[in-house]
Amino acid sequence: MVLADYKYKDIIHRCFRCGYCKFPTDWMDVNNCPAYARFRMESYSCGGRLWLIRAWLDGKIDWTDHLAQIVFSCVACKNCAEKCPLNFSDNIVDMITAAKSEMVERGSIPSAVKNFLENIQRQGNPYGDARIKRGEWVEGTGIKQYEGQEFLYYVGCVGSYDTRAKETAKTLGEVLLKAGVSFGVLGNEENCDGNEVNKLGEESLFQMLAEENIQKFKDLGVRKIVTLSPHSYNAIKNDYPKFDGSFEVFHYTQLFQDLIKGGRLNVSGGLNARVTYHDPCFLGRWNKEYDAPREVLNAIPGIELAEMERNREATLCCGGGGGNFYTDFLGGSETNPARIRIREAYATGASAVAVACPNCMTMLEDAVKAEGLEEKLKIRDISEIVGEACLVKRD
Amino acid sequence: MDIVVAIKQVLDTSEAVDVVEIDASGKDIKKGALISRINDWDEYALEEAVQLKQKLGGTVTAVTVGPGEWDDTLRRALAMGADRAIRIDEDAAAMDSCVVARVLTALISRLSYDLIMFGAQSEDLGSGQLGPMVAEMLGIPHATLVVSLQVQEGEARVSRELEGGVLELYTLKLPALLTIQTGINRPRYVSFASIKKARDKELKVMSLGELGLSREALTPMVKLEKLELTPAGKRAELISGSAEEAAANLATILKNSGVILSG
Repeated sequence: MVLADYKYKDIIHRCFRCGYCKFPTDWMDVNNCPAYARFRMESYSCGGRLWLIRAWLDGKIDWTDHLAQIVFSCVACKNCAEKCPLNFSDNIVDMITAAKSEMVERGSIPSAVKNFLENIQRQGNPYGDARIKRGEWVEGTGIKQYEGQEFLYYVGCVGSYDTRAKETAKTLGEVLLKAGVSFGVLGNEENCDGNEVNKLGEESLFQMLAEENIQKFKDLGVRKIVTLSPHSYNAIKNDYPKFDGSFEVFHYTQLFQDLIKGGRLNVSGGLNARVTYHDPCFLGRWNKEYDAPREVLNAIPGIELAEMERNREATLCCGGGGGNFYTDFLGGSETNPARIRIREAYATGASAVAVACPNCMTMLEDAVKAEGLEEKLKIRDISEIVGEACLVKRD
Repeated sequence: MDIVVAIKQVLDTSEAVDVVEIDASGKDIKKGALISRINDWDEYALEEAVQLKQKLGGTVTAVTVGPGEWDDTLRRALAMGADRAIRIDEDAAAMDSCVVARVLTALISRLSYDLIMFGAQSEDLGSGQLGPMVAEMLGIPHATLVVSLQVQEGEARVSRELEGGVLELYTLKLPALLTIQTGINRPRYVSFASIKKARDKELKVMSLGELGLSREALTPMVKLEKLELTPAGKRAELISGSAEEAAANLATILKNSGVILSG
């Protein structure tokens, strides 16, 4: 591609690499860009990437495997956008995604990204597992197929296929049943929401997924959607309206907040534990929802919420966004952001990290094992903590 | 440089092995919810052809013998960079390799070609015969299991992969036929947009009659009798104990069975 065809050609040169994109909001650490934290090289920060992309668009450097790895190691956590002082800060993640798009069009992308996208084309999930296995997690629960209930419970790919996250998906369903929420799932009829596909720059595949999902939701008469994953929540809430799909979307922690306030979800069973909460990027920075998960945790008797040093807008991403929970460009080192995050969580003295995202769950579960802390620090989804407090039994 | 690439469509059983079942005929697997895709080896052959065209100019034609549902795979080939695609509208499952080779030979001999490429084998039947048969029928040189390729001055310089990491290097006079091994390149990602764009490219469907052939004259010499699932093994052993114990136990088993050398 030449610079003239690049969507952000008029602004990309304005980044003068002040370096603010690497910091959290309070300046306490220079390593708040997950890829920069992992590699400690300027080229892996947002500013570094923008300069490399510009050099590539100007024909000064070639697209190589190494450059592809640098560009695709952006996990779209949006820390850079939070901190960038320039007036195009809202666009800086999109500027990187646009470069990914160009390489997707050329077909010249890292193998892991190619596998991720091809698996979604074929089977509707990044793992390449069969479509007919998507709804298997429902077996043995009382969770019903969606047929006009008040809410569609949209689970997403990770909750449908990942062994650990499937347990979370079940527990959330059982808590909703216990609270008497009228809801159903799509089971094998569910397809990928496309959030990661979009952030990996595969625009046309995302459009196809969004349009098909929207049509399915409309055909079934869906009006309200509750999601397990903040990634699904982000796509359905912010991107589906562009394709004429407007639904009332809730992340489950928002629904929990209402249910607890309304007395429908009784968490008086309590749980004695010091817990720290890890903000998922697609709930926090992408959707500004920092309070609902904390209010839910604070409503549970016996829970002591201990904040990590970097929290809310300043959260360090687990590294699982932008498809990286599968493509894994940031692993293989103790500077893997998920491992840094686990050390930070452990330093709070908490016995559990509360998460609100199946991607964070899988990333932090791996990291806690790599750190040898699995006996001391449990990774628990908020739905599981609430499940215990409202006495939903799970083995 | 005009290149013809023969491709086929297969069922994707890679992530769904526990759902493969034999159908009522006993000669095929149940399609059920299995999804179709391009044969793995053929994707490498196509990529190699498209890269060669980008370097040297010319055309790439993708050809197949198969039913209408295989058009999806031909469209994918067009999206990868083939200029046109031709499908001979016949059920290849009812043919043996020799019959398919005769049909492809009749088609390819009507096309302009400097190089013909096949995948080294198919994922579903795996006979690996088709390429060599077509080369013999066309009377041109061929090389199988090609892992690298350079074309210059009317010659193809190729290396073939042998056992134990040994490479055999050959020069073939063009026109020639090559069967391509996986790993020769990194097949590009075929974006959804490029599949949509490729809808405008030519996808021609031809009958046996148009090739001067008839079903009656194409009698298979090899007949598939039956398909069976491999019986479950009885020598599987579950290793229990802590990670350390299990690892030590596994190492002993591997050493004793000669898989790894002790020392």
